[in-house]
Amino acid sequence: MNNILSWIVWLPIAAAVILAFFPRNAVTAIKSLGLGASIVTFGLSFVVVQLFQDSVATFQFVESHTWIPQWGIRYALGVDGIAIWLVMLTTLLTPVVFLSSWNAIHKHPKEYVIAFLIMEAAMIGVFMATDILVFYVFFELTLLPMYLVIGVWGGANRIYAAIKFFLFTISGSLLMLLGIIYLAFLQYHDVGRPDFSIAHLYGLSIPMHTQAILFAAFALAFAIKVPLFPLHTWLPDAHVEAPTGGSIILAGVMLKMGTYGFLRFCLPLFPDATAKYAKLMIILAVIGVIYGALVSWVQPDMKKLVAYSSVSHLGFCVLGIFALNQTAIEGSILQMVNHGLSTGALFLLVGVIYERRHTRMLADYGGLAATMPLYATFFVITVLSSVGLPGLNGFVGEFLILAGSFKTHPTATIIAAAGVVLAAIYLLWLVQRVFFGPVTKEENRSVPEIAWNEVAAMVPLVVLMVWIGVHPNTFLRKMSPSVQKLMTTVQKGGQRGQVMVAGALTRRSAAPSPRGRGIWQRGPLPSGEGGRRPGEGR
Amino acid sequence: MTWNDVVFMLPEIILSIGASLLLIAPVIGWRLKEASAKWAILILLAITALSVVICSNVVEGLPQTVSYSAMFALDGFAIFFKLLFITAIAMIVLLSDDFLRESRYSAWEYYSLLGFALIGMMFMASGVHLASIYIGLELMSLSSYILTGFFKNEQKSTEAAMKYFVLGTVSSGILLYGISLIYGVTGSLNLLTIAKAMSTIITNDALMFGIMLLGAGLCFKIAAVPFHVWTPDVYEGAPTPIAAFLSTASKGAAVAIFARIFYVGLHDFQLDWSNILATISALSMILGNLAALTQDNVKRMLAYSSIGHAGYVLLGILSLNAMGLRGVLIYTLVYVFANLGIWATVLMLRRHEYAGERVDDFEGLHKRAPFWAFAMIIFLLSLGGIPPTAGFIGKYFLFAAAIQSGFGWLAIIAVLMSAVSMFFYFRIVVAMYLREGREAEVAITPALKLVAGVCLAVTLIFGILPAPLINQATESSSWVAARAAILTHAGR
Amino acid sequence: MANYSVLLVAALIVLSLPVLTLFVLAPLVRASRANKVKLEPYECGVPASSYAFDHRFSVRYFLIAVLFIIFDVETVFLFPWAIRFKQLGWFGAVEMAVFLAILLIGYFYAWKRKVLSWV
Repeated sequence: MNNILSWIVWLPIAAAVILAFFPRNAVTAIKSLGLGASIVTFGLSFVVVQLFQDSVATFQFVESHTWIPQWGIRYALGVDGIAIWLVMLTTLLTPVVFLSSWNAIHKHPKEYVIAFLIMEAAMIGVFMATDILVFYVFFELTLLPMYLVIGVWGGANRIYAAIKFFLFTISGSLLMLLGIIYLAFLQYHDVGRPDFSIAHLYGLSIPMHTQAILFAAFALAFAIKVPLFPLHTWLPDAHVEAPTGGSIILAGVMLKMGTYGFLRFCLPLFPDATAKYAKLMIILAVIGVIYGALVSWVQPDMKKLVAYSSVSHLGFCVLGIFALNQTAIEGSILQMVNHGLSTGALFLLVGVIYERRHTRMLADYGGLAATMPLYATFFVITVLSSVGLPGLNGFVGEFLILAGSFKTHPTATIIAAAGVVLAAIYLLWLVQRVFFGPVTKEENRSVPEIAWNEVAAMVPLVVLMVWIGVHPNTFLRKMSPSVQKLMTTVQKGGQRGQVMVAGALTRRSAAPSPRGRGIWQRGPLPSGEGGRRPGEGR
Repeated sequence: MTWNDVVFMLPEIILSIGASLLLIAPVIGWRLKEASAKWAILILLAITALSVVICSNVVEGLPQTVSYSAMFALDGFAIFFKLLFITAIAMIVLLSDDFLRESRYSAWEYYSLLGFALIGMMFMASGVHLASIYIGLELMSLSSYILTGFFKNEQKSTEAAMKYFVLGTVSSGILLYGISLIYGVTGSLNLLTIAKAMSTIITNDALMFGIMLLGAGLCFKIAAVPFHVWTPDVYEGAPTPIAAFLSTASKGAAVAIFARIFYVGLHDFQLDWSNILATISALSMILGNLAALTQDNVKRMLAYSSIGHAGYVLLGILSLNAMGLRGVLIYTLVYVFANLGIWATVLMLRRHEYAGERVDDFEGLHKRAPFWAFAMIIFLLSLGGIPPTAGFIGKYFLFAAAIQSGFGWLAIIAVLMSAVSMFFYFRIVVAMYLREGREAEVAITPALKLVAGVCLAVTLIFGILPAPLINQATESSSWVAARAAILTHAGR
Repeated sequence: MANYSVLLVAALIVLSLPVLTLFVLAPLVRASRANKVKLEPYECGVPASSYAFDHRFSVRYFLIAVLFIIFDVETVFLFPWAIRFKQLGWFGAVEMAVFLAILLIGYFYAWKRKVLSWV
């Protein structure tokens, strides 16, 4: 069981490779194998959760093999309290996708299943990688399958949406690659040998202005992925055009790669820059919360409504992260999971009705509660979870975020809290317009009720919504030590940064620091010597 | 001149005799079938490759590393590029097979010209003396002028050859002028002697002018902006396999001498030329990739993309460090294989005369040939530098080299332009996968399958397990690195 | 620099001579009686049959010219070898033989491809 994480990553890929040799028309066998593989992967990740030691803050189930020895890159995996629930979320949502699209995909079902399996593996790899370059490789690997999922199985305007999604994301991540390379150089000059291990990189002390540039490079990539307010424009297009399964994974997991990236890299690696730019990020996050909610309010298209609500909800997550205290960050991680569950479920449900009526316009619906009572029940529960009704999962996450961030940024918190109210308005209004009132269209009288496979996909999501809402400690317990460790890293970094700034000020009359060169300046990087100042411990 | 000298040049001697035989065999009355020409050249290439390997092993035991009055070296760098060029030419022979069968031109002549071009490229890889490098370059260029216009009755082909010839000779003249100025100042054409002479020179305008002209001539050969104007027209007009040759092997050879001359001969003046090359590199990346956005013709698109790639490779040359040198080797290899794979796919779509040249011709390819459509995605990703393809490894080295030597701004331009390049590479993916309606007509021959398969394997294997490639590049570049006074173990 | 300035002055004088005579002096002293025949590019007494650009030459002229140049330049390489014949010895002889052999192959090829026969 030493390499259970590798099993989780490679099992979907192995299944995808096997599927590639399946005959094209064995549709049921293909779907079954895909579903089976994703369920086994879920089972394995469940084992990981069971064996996960709550009190350990560092990476667990660690495995590490030499990959590219010349650069010191190791194929290194591990999970900590931050990553584990996101891994779990990924392995849960993939079978949900397969179940929900069981009868919905008629075009190239084989390629559909393969794309989702590869995407699952890559996303799990992103959350599990403990080597920064392995992280990058998996981060990029998620792109192509999602591009094809949107582009091949998407709606009318799918090519535009797919290319927009791809280009937005890749421009960010390529800049991150430069940041990674520069970080690797800093590490090389610090310890004298190439090392890309995330845990080792945490030990770097980087001068403030370098931190600022690197923070920008990383934060841009993640902010596009989240997406943070001015960079969000790809998201509605991608969601509207993507097939239901693609939307579930995109909203459920892929956006979390951005918030996870903030937690894993931006905060602990560049604590000083984080402290400096936290305010900016929070402002953007709050704008996102309000803007997303307001735009959702006026959407005539259900899917677009849910897509913009994602911008709003992810704004909460970013707010929690940059509030920089334990409560808010824990709430933020929990909110990532919550958003994955409830928005994933919402996209699923929108997909269900779109399958039946082939329209997503709110005006085409009304009074569905009478024709589809079970469907309406699921929908209402999901909406309530998304709104943040006490007793369901959304409440816990949002409460923790707001409670945490109120300590540090009260004004922003109060404005963001208005987002909760707005969410209640637009989501409940959505329910009102779709399910209640008189039946205005004849077609709505005879819509078939939600089918077995869709129920099977919804049930685990609803169970988890209630579970998190009632007993969040199951989840918080496992993440607490890791978050605590993260906070110590951030705070220590902050203090160290202050020491460094003070030191630099007193030494200004002396020779300029050799490390004080920015990425922009000409001339080779200093070598030898090392970046650590004397007397400065880790 | 001793027997040892013969050992150094034995592969070239064998190839010269073989290529001459290919040329005259059909005209002196031997009754030879057109179809056996490709077997003859393939066997000849195999013998040459084998002799390169054997000779390099023999040379290792010899006390000298250069021969012919220090004009010719058989170091790791030369061997690396020679084997790469032989492989590339072998694949171009396979690509040409069908193309020639439909035409009425002599395959024997065509293959012997490819052989002569290869001799030139092997000389370039080995040259440590500006004269031998220049002779190799001219031999390669003259052969490629003829090959570009090989289909004499096609107007496009002739026009392309004419443009290529006129501009090519002008650039050769500029190159020669630069060489003569360098000779005038340093008193030698030998790269090692030039380097020694330069270490005592602080500043010299004639020398700077010479370096500039030399750089301009070389930039023409690798098609860097502003010396790129010939590229799209020539690629479009040339027979497709020859366009493949120009964009891979021929360009690779120019990159090899570029790196060798600037690393070994001119490294002392790096501060002076690196900024000029940085400008050229930035312009190439920007203009090449932006211009490619608007192209509907795949050959022109690949031409502009190859201009962009010239800009990337320049990153490795101008940064003058171990990372950069290895980056040049790795990137050239990766680029050659990815590009040949793309050309093979383009040729698969060829039916009648000009099909496979427009982006639209790729529409629905994944229905007809799902595997090759997938392979095409991998090649395109590799050119874009996306993991887990080999292109990522190459780009990583080049970006890291630029950052290490303080060209962070150039690295930023490079990544932004990589993102732009993904846009037009993905136009082909869009056509292959996302557009409905037409189904691409394909003619997939075993030869094309072989080429695309080999390229796919190389691109994926070195992308996933790059360690052997990096080791090989480190080893192969050690001679040059030692002469350029850069540490091989520096960086990663 | 002083030495070179003399050169520059000399060069200017040399350059100015043809310019002065052709464009300044000649128009002043010469008789100017233009007619159609006089304005033709080649004033040789025979009426021109066509303009130079209109006329196509057989490609064989060029082939012969190229071959001529190749073998003409070949002798340029033969002279130094002939002067240093004794010192270069067998090595030189063999080298020259290889050089000539390569040219002969080309000659042979041209011959067999009927470049030399005039149809």
